Amino acid sequence: MADNDLVNVKIDGIAVQVPKGTPAIEAAKKAGVDIPFFCYHPKLSMEAGANCRMCLVEVATPRKGPDGTISMAKMPKPQTACSLPVSEGMEIETQTEQVIADRKAILEFLLINHPLDCPICDRGGECPLQNNTIFYGPQNSRFIEEKRHFPKAYPLSKHVVFDRERCIHCARCTRFTDDISGDHQLAFLKRGADMYIDTFNQSKMVSKFSGNVIEICPVGALLSRDYRFKARPWDILSQKSICTQCSNGCNIKLDYRVGRLQRVNARLNEAVNEEWTCDKGKFGMDYVSTDQRLVTPLIRRDGALQPATWSEAMDLVVQRLKEAGKSVGAIGGARCTNEDNYILQKFFRNVLKSNNLDHRLGTYLPPAQSGLHARLGYHTMGNAIADFERMKTIFVIGSDLVNEQPILFLRVRKAWRFKGGRIIAANPAATQISEFADPEVTYRAGAEVALLNGIIKILAERNPSAADLPGYGDFIKSLAGWSIEKAAEESGVSAERIRRIADAIFSGETAFIAGKAVTEHPDASAVIEAICNLAVLSGNAANVNIPVTQCNAQGAMDMGLLPDSAPGYTPVEEPGLNTRQMLEAAADSNLKALWLVGADPVAHYTDADLAKRALGGDTFVIASELFLTPSAELADVVLPVASVAEKDGTYTNCERRVQRIFKAFELSPDVHPDWFVFADASGRLEQPLPYFSARDILREINVTVPLYADCSPQKLGNEGIRWQYPSAKSDLQLVPVEYRPLAKVTVAE
Amino acid sequence: METNGNEGGHRFSQKSIAQLDEIITHYPERRAAMLPALWIAQREYDGYLPPEALQEVADRLERPLSEVQAVASFYTMYNFRKRGRHHLEVCTCLSCAVRGAYEVMHKLEKELGISAGEVTVDGEFSIAEVECLDFCGAATVVQVGDQYFGNVTAENVDMLLDQLRNSDSHTPVELADALVKIMTPGGSEAAPA
Amino acid sequence: MPETRILLKHRDEPGIEDIETYERLGGYTALRKALGMERQEVINEVKSSGLRGRGGAGFPTWIKWDGIPKNTNQPHYVLCNADEGEPGTFKDRELMLKCAHQIVEGIIIAGYATLSKVSYIYIRGEFVESAKMVRKAIDQAYRKGYLGKKILGREDFDFDLYIHVGAGSYECGEESALMSSLMGERGQPRLKFPHAPLPVIAGAWNQPTLINNVETYSVVPHIIVNGGAWYASMGTQGSKGTKIFSLSGHIAKPGNYEIIFGMPLLDLVELAGGVTGGNLKAIIPGGSSVPLIPAEIAKDFTLDYEASQTVQYRMRTMRLPVVGSGGMMVFNDRTDIVTLMLRTAEFYAHESCGKCTPCREGTRWLYKILYRIVSGGGRPSDLDILMNICDGIDGRSYCALGDAAAWPIMGSLKHYRHEYEYWIEHKRSPLGDNFVPPVPNRLNLNFELLPAR
Ligand SMILES: Cc1cc2nc3c(=O)[nH]c(=O)nc-3n(C[C@H](O)[C@H](O)[C@H](O)COP(=O)(O)O)c2cc1C
Ligand code: SF4
Ligand code: FES
Repeated sequence: MADNDLVNVKIDGIAVQVPKGTPAIEAAKKAGVDIPFFCYHPKLSMEAGANCRMCLVEVATPRKGPDGTISMAKMPKPQTACSLPVSEGMEIETQTEQVIADRKAILEFLLINHPLDCPICDRGGECPLQNNTIFYGPQNSRFIEEKRHFPKAYPLSKHVVFDRERCIHCARCTRFTDDISGDHQLAFLKRGADMYIDTFNQSKMVSKFSGNVIEICPVGALLSRDYRFKARPWDILSQKSICTQCSNGCNIKLDYRVGRLQRVNARLNEAVNEEWTCDKGKFGMDYVSTDQRLVTPLIRRDGALQPATWSEAMDLVVQRLKEAGKSVGAIGGARCTNEDNYILQKFFRNVLKSNNLDHRLGTYLPPAQSGLHARLGYHTMGNAIADFERMKTIFVIGSDLVNEQPILFLRVRKAWRFKGGRIIAANPAATQISEFADPEVTYRAGAEVALLNGIIKILAERNPSAADLPGYGDFIKSLAGWSIEKAAEESGVSAERIRRIADAIFSGETAFIAGKAVTEHPDASAVIEAICNLAVLSGNAANVNIPVTQCNAQGAMDMGLLPDSAPGYTPVEEPGLNTRQMLEAAADSNLKALWLVGADPVAHYTDADLAKRALGGDTFVIASELFLTPSAELADVVLPVASVAEKDGTYTNCERRVQRIFKAFELSPDVHPDWFVFADASGRLEQPLPYFSARDILREINVTVPLYADCSPQKLGNEGIRWQYPSAKSDLQLVPVEYRPLAKVTVAE
Repeated sequence: METNGNEGGHRFSQKSIAQLDEIITHYPERRAAMLPALWIAQREYDGYLPPEALQEVADRLERPLSEVQAVASFYTMYNFRKRGRHHLEVCTCLSCAVRGAYEVMHKLEKELGISAGEVTVDGEFSIAEVECLDFCGAATVVQVGDQYFGNVTAENVDMLLDQLRNSDSHTPVELADALVKIMTPGGSEAAPA
Repeated sequence: MPETRILLKHRDEPGIEDIETYERLGGYTALRKALGMERQEVINEVKSSGLRGRGGAGFPTWIKWDGIPKNTNQPHYVLCNADEGEPGTFKDRELMLKCAHQIVEGIIIAGYATLSKVSYIYIRGEFVESAKMVRKAIDQAYRKGYLGKKILGREDFDFDLYIHVGAGSYECGEESALMSSLMGERGQPRLKFPHAPLPVIAGAWNQPTLINNVETYSVVPHIIVNGGAWYASMGTQGSKGTKIFSLSGHIAKPGNYEIIFGMPLLDLVELAGGVTGGNLKAIIPGGSSVPLIPAEIAKDFTLDYEASQTVQYRMRTMRLPVVGSGGMMVFNDRTDIVTLMLRTAEFYAHESCGKCTPCREGTRWLYKILYRIVSGGGRPSDLDILMNICDGIDGRSYCALGDAAAWPIMGSLKHYRHEYEYWIEHKRSPLGDNFVPPVPNRLNLNFELLPAR
């Protein structure tokens, strides 16, 4: 914002400079003046806000008299600071007798119908209503009439329970479902003092983001069913962490008590999740503290896995690794920290001298591995998550975004809801994006390339300067047989809608997001090439996003968990085996030892049968795991390892932001972080990798991996850092893509 | 009930659909036709709005269900339960109150054997107390369907009931119909209901 | 002083609902004249007339008209507020019923002056008969070419007028709540900041919006035909022209009376035939939202926007209006003030939209205390609490409904404290049994039990 947009205001006599139009409540914050509030929330629309009236202040503005003198004119009524945009010279008083009386009055009004059942309320101790009452409220209640009564603890959904008596009608939750999540589940019914919140016809609340309403409710009205009555806020400790449920890297707080995770709350990071979580993250992290967690090593004896001491297990592992020599491999790491992965690959490459490393379990080959890195670079997202807000157009293709990348979905919706962005979506089936995508088209499954060719055809005609792009000649020749009508015919999307998509892309900066339908397409690289062509042709080469799905898949690649590249994508001389090759080798008894690092091929690999044969055969299988997974059940040694809550380290999210996690508690003395296991093994092999903490390892990574040079523990801070290429990375080449209808594609890997 | 063979058990007649389509064109946004659409629904669904009616409005206006219910429940003239064939709404606000509205109310309750908010067993009558109908010059005022009755007193309320018993007019459906016509251009020229 | 009928001139004319009759009596000449004027000239005429809004607040009309951006290509709207809901007021109802063409003509002139293309008249759902007349007037105006495309041959003036009917909510008369309701939302007021103080910059659909009351629009044709100066020649310094008062309650000839501003309050009571059933006790002069005036001091008041009553409480002095919407309710000495206030409180508790804390909770609390007092459970401390609640609502609520709920009670506590005290001490009315019958408590929450899930 330019300097001339700043205005000078005084709050209780304290002068501050803020951008014009800032809400007075924010200006006061800047002046260090606390104005109490309930309904205000910077991320929610003001239209249905300013209703609690807690933030009333007295305001005066300068007025020019007829003789040109300027005097301060006091506004006749007190104003709500949350909705009052400041203007030059405004003076705000927050401590006058009147303001203090008003706050008392509002709190008295809010409390008359409130049940005051704080002793048994989950929110007790962290409740804005309690807090404001302590500081600003009346000492006693003069209300002797009957209070409003509702059924207590009314279940809204699997996760959320509602105590309607406690509601103070601030409209935060209803605004959340309208403004942020877009599922429009909660609304006010009736009016006046009878007004209450409910879902339509008392149906179940269906939302992917219901947990957030628990956090933004300023009283104990909306509560978590999981956390209810489990702990008191003053009785729990909190540790900063990162959600591991998908690759978004949402910032969270782990709230725990005596070594058990009690609940997960969002942690503010404007660049990533703002202050939201999805329900998968908020309620899905309880795997950390289930009784199924492994706490001792297991060794297969007489055909069954039996508890063993750590030394017994490790000695066995080391002995078998020695025997195996170079015939060893490791699969996994996509859910481990960068530090774990770095030591894992170092152990394999430097100690065991094997390049048989791979973190991938699906069919999708990220750019680093599919020959696409020339065009895409080594990352999977061209844009930062926060970038989507400023896009004129966002084209979501083949992605059920709300399920695949929930928090990214919220950003995309925000672009539409608050920033005037246009969202277009093309999917094989309708998704929750229908609410705001325009146009939203459904194409015949597998016909992505046909659809894209149609759009490309239109754009190529409109953009004469495209002819200067490298590769244009061959490219346009390859499109000779394509017309919009043919694209419509092949894809099942009408020519008119293909034109509308092209119009939207043509109208301004466009970002592309592709999801599972693309990455799991049998001909995935062709589809991705076609998306790249479209991006290049429309001048958006840097805006292609095909996010990885697993928590630290990007980091695993960066750390060299690939058969052909070492950390930082340095090519290795003799590439090792990839996941499929390792599994095949194991199935054919050609691999002596296989280490599964947080990977469960039996459950997750596309070819489960192969996985079973591989793990059930002669190969010595070691599994580092949290649980006795189907794959671990087939292993010869199972080593219990630390979950996200029990270790330090860093994760790299899909937009290649490196963020720290911190150890909250310890599960058992035998549970170690993955890196420790490899360091221990190397020590037992007498080629020690002497590291004492994840911090040490990160420092080494800063030195040895140039992409991570900036990501030192000190610099990562609360926001994390996105690693950057030394020079901008995007190849403007256009390449011909062959369209093969689904029926003609055979699954190849 | 006439149906249009539409999906999801929708009940709007072709005429209603046409009227709604027309009304939607009055506004820059489809959503603004919410109140009219609810009136149409109240007409089509027998003078009240069961959940299916709200569902139909939501579908036709492409709005979330919760929003439709939130809007409908705000207003007192939308019914969520079936009313009597004649729904008597007695104004008991200031001017009527000082001119005997409560006596009218009590007389009605006694006469019909129901209290405010209830429906007689035969479904003929229901009564409700309402806020100012703004015809205070003729206090006490009673609204029945699309009609105001002024100068009602405890003495002449029997006459009113008799008159209504023999009348097929002044029903909740008729009220909704009248209002829909009022919102439809050319509505004054249409044949009377 | 007699009535001066300008707006109600034709109220008894047979066939006035037909456009031919209206035209014969000079209807739509104002529109023709206006279309021959520059737009700014029309606004200037309204300015010189001194016309102030008749919806209750008395805001100078020309400021709104002039405030609509002049060279904008944005769509913008003209709204007519016909949601008359103020207890005691029934002037708009009669204007629509008897003189609908006059309103339509006024709205078209406003549309011309503000370059608007679309207008809506928001009529409360209960007013079926009146609304039918407006429908008829609009249909006829379309037929005659006063509405629609190229009005009276003017290439640059297309104008549509639609009717939007409400569904039972007093709050929808508040202008921003009316816009919410028009846009298909709950009838809750919208944020006026940063658009404050008027919706002329961002109102309905966030576009410039002009909103006026039915009576305000009805005046416009007369001002255009006869000139602003003519209109300004009537009335007082700050209140020009005539105003319709609706008389009801204990009055011999209830009905609408159109008088020139400045008439003494008691003259109007006389004009309407005087009090019935006893002597005058109190008058609520401008709709339930203004505080009542006891008979003893009624002679001190004239009917104009300058007149006001002051209420002093703690550190605040409040000047409360007298004219309001013009709904004058007259009460004889058989009226129990506390019960009357209970009924007033019930009205506001029932009509509060629920959006803001002070009004949602405060109005219901007022009602509950008053109900307790008339049920014989009053306590001496209640009066202080009542005043305190009013103080907490007035000026703190989101829209003026809260203020309107507080003022009558503040006023009655000022003038009739002794009656409250009597009630509290003796647990019965100072009037014995012969007063307004007790109000049944129907505001108790009755929620059906929610099904288990
Ligand atoms: C609670 C409340 C109810 C109102 N009801 C009405 C009403 O029924 N009719 C009306 O014309 N104005 C009503 N008003 C006033 C309007 O907000 C607005 O001031 C008026 O429509 C402006 O028109 P005017 O300038 O012509 O007076 C009400 C205001 C409040 C606060
Ligand atoms: S004062 Fe508040 S609760 Fe009352 S009507 Fe206005 S916004 Fe609604
Ligand atoms: S925070 Fe300002 S009104 Fe609620």
